[in-house]
Amino acid sequence: MKYFIYSSNSILITYNSDINSDLIQVLSSLKSKLEIDFEEYLIDTVQSINSLLVVFDSNKISVDDFYIKVKSIKTGKTKNKLKSKIWEVPVCYDPSYASDLEEFSKSKNLSKQDVIKIHKSKVYDIMSMGFLPGFMYLGNTDNKLYCERKPRPSLNIKKGSIGLALNQTCIYPQDSPGGWHIIGSSPINFFDLNYKSPCFAKPGDKIKFIEISKSRYESIKNNKSIKPNFQTI
Amino acid sequence: MIKVIDPGLYSSIQDNGRFGYRNIGVPYSGFMDNESAGLANKIIGNKESESLIEITLMGPTLLFNNDYTLSITGGDFSSLINNDKIEMYKPIHVKLGDTLKINHTKSGARCYLAISGGIDIKSILGSKSSFKGITSSYFLKKGDEIKIINNNKSNFSFDCKSVFKTDSVLHVSKGPEFCMLKKDSLDILFNKKFTIGVNNRMGYNFNEKLQVGLKSIISSPVLPGTIQLTPSGNIIVLHRDCQTSGGYNRILQLNEKSLNNLSQLKNGDKIKFKLIN
Repeated sequence: MKYFIYSSNSILITYNSDINSDLIQVLSSLKSKLEIDFEEYLIDTVQSINSLLVVFDSNKISVDDFYIKVKSIKTGKTKNKLKSKIWEVPVCYDPSYASDLEEFSKSKNLSKQDVIKIHKSKVYDIMSMGFLPGFMYLGNTDNKLYCERKPRPSLNIKKGSIGLALNQTCIYPQDSPGGWHIIGSSPINFFDLNYKSPCFAKPGDKIKFIEISKSRYESIKNNKSIKPNFQTI
Repeated sequence: MIKVIDPGLYSSIQDNGRFGYRNIGVPYSGFMDNESAGLANKIIGNKESESLIEITLMGPTLLFNNDYTLSITGGDFSSLINNDKIEMYKPIHVKLGDTLKINHTKSGARCYLAISGGIDIKSILGSKSSFKGITSSYFLKKGDEIKIINNNKSNFSFDCKSVFKTDSVLHVSKGPEFCMLKKDSLDILFNKKFTIGVNNRMGYNFNEKLQVGLKSIISSPVLPGTIQLTPSGNIIVLHRDCQTSGGYNRILQLNEKSLNNLSQLKNGDKIKFKLIN
């Protein structure tokens, strides 16, 4: 584990260990601990795949003093694991929402049904959010779905699209250009400014994709108040 | 209310930024040149963080539908009220029916127009700063009507002595992947001049290339001021609207003062990086 003074008001904590579900939980629990212990100083804590960036108010404490404070926090796996949520996200894999499913399946020598089955069979960690407000990086996907990004990004990926790239899958929270292979779409909102917390989920939570029909997709889409179900583990 | 007769090249409403949401991918946004913007507010008795109008390279023409007190700081855009030249860094009183024309820049890239009281729009996630995907409108358009918060202040005690200037030296500290740079890259980085290329509120590109072939890193947090090196050798300085994480090597970090300074430099300007601790 490495502590690095990133700027005059931020400290980066990086883990060198393998990237897996445990590491994401370790980062989440460190993040919560910092938020409780240093609430008075914090501006942001940004959780990424193997690191945490802690941004603080340098009017309240110097970077050297804060560095010492952060370093003194005990880390590692805690016995009382933080409760994380598994969100059930409905996805329709119908070709009308899956512009790259056919080509992607062919490139992997899989049937479309196989790709769908493999994709929805796993519970994914929300490893980080970024790129767009509410854009989720989910991992890791099954090796059979590993792929490079598309050589040319698509210019208009629709809100709710589910993508694949490298060993990750993602959800586009708004219309955007992007280079991920689109294999389905979810009808729910992933970033809603009508709520104080615009995202229902956060890094460290988990996502399970639930396949739905085209008609179910349309009916959910028309009912803006529908929120995904979750289980706490 | 202020009516936008001509929006200029790129004028947007900003305050000091949107903090606390980077973990869900929301950029800070906010004043590009924090120092000049803070002064504009202070001169007319606003909080330094108050919302105002940030103006880029070519200014807007605005019609006042009420009496206001305003101030302009930052780069010199030779601004006129009803064809009379106005002084910068001073409170200016305008009357209903007056027109403010902010021209092309003579120095700097951005100027700041603060109006006593601040701008009356909804705060979203704790900020009034414009950002696509967060605010419904993200730059001024012809015909827009900007509401101003009522305020009866008329005495302004802050006598601003600041003089606007830019610096061609940018102060940087080491980034997390600094050690990936080869010896000859370091020589180039700290001895050669770099020319500002395509730039906007998200980041600044440079025309010269550095070390080619660095592998991308796992997507990791970045901040305004983070200097990235792409696999093809391009240098990018991230600015206020930058995304929250990235996969390019983070070789350097620009300090806050230099970040303000960079926002006042233009395409074609030459700079040098200076490593400080």
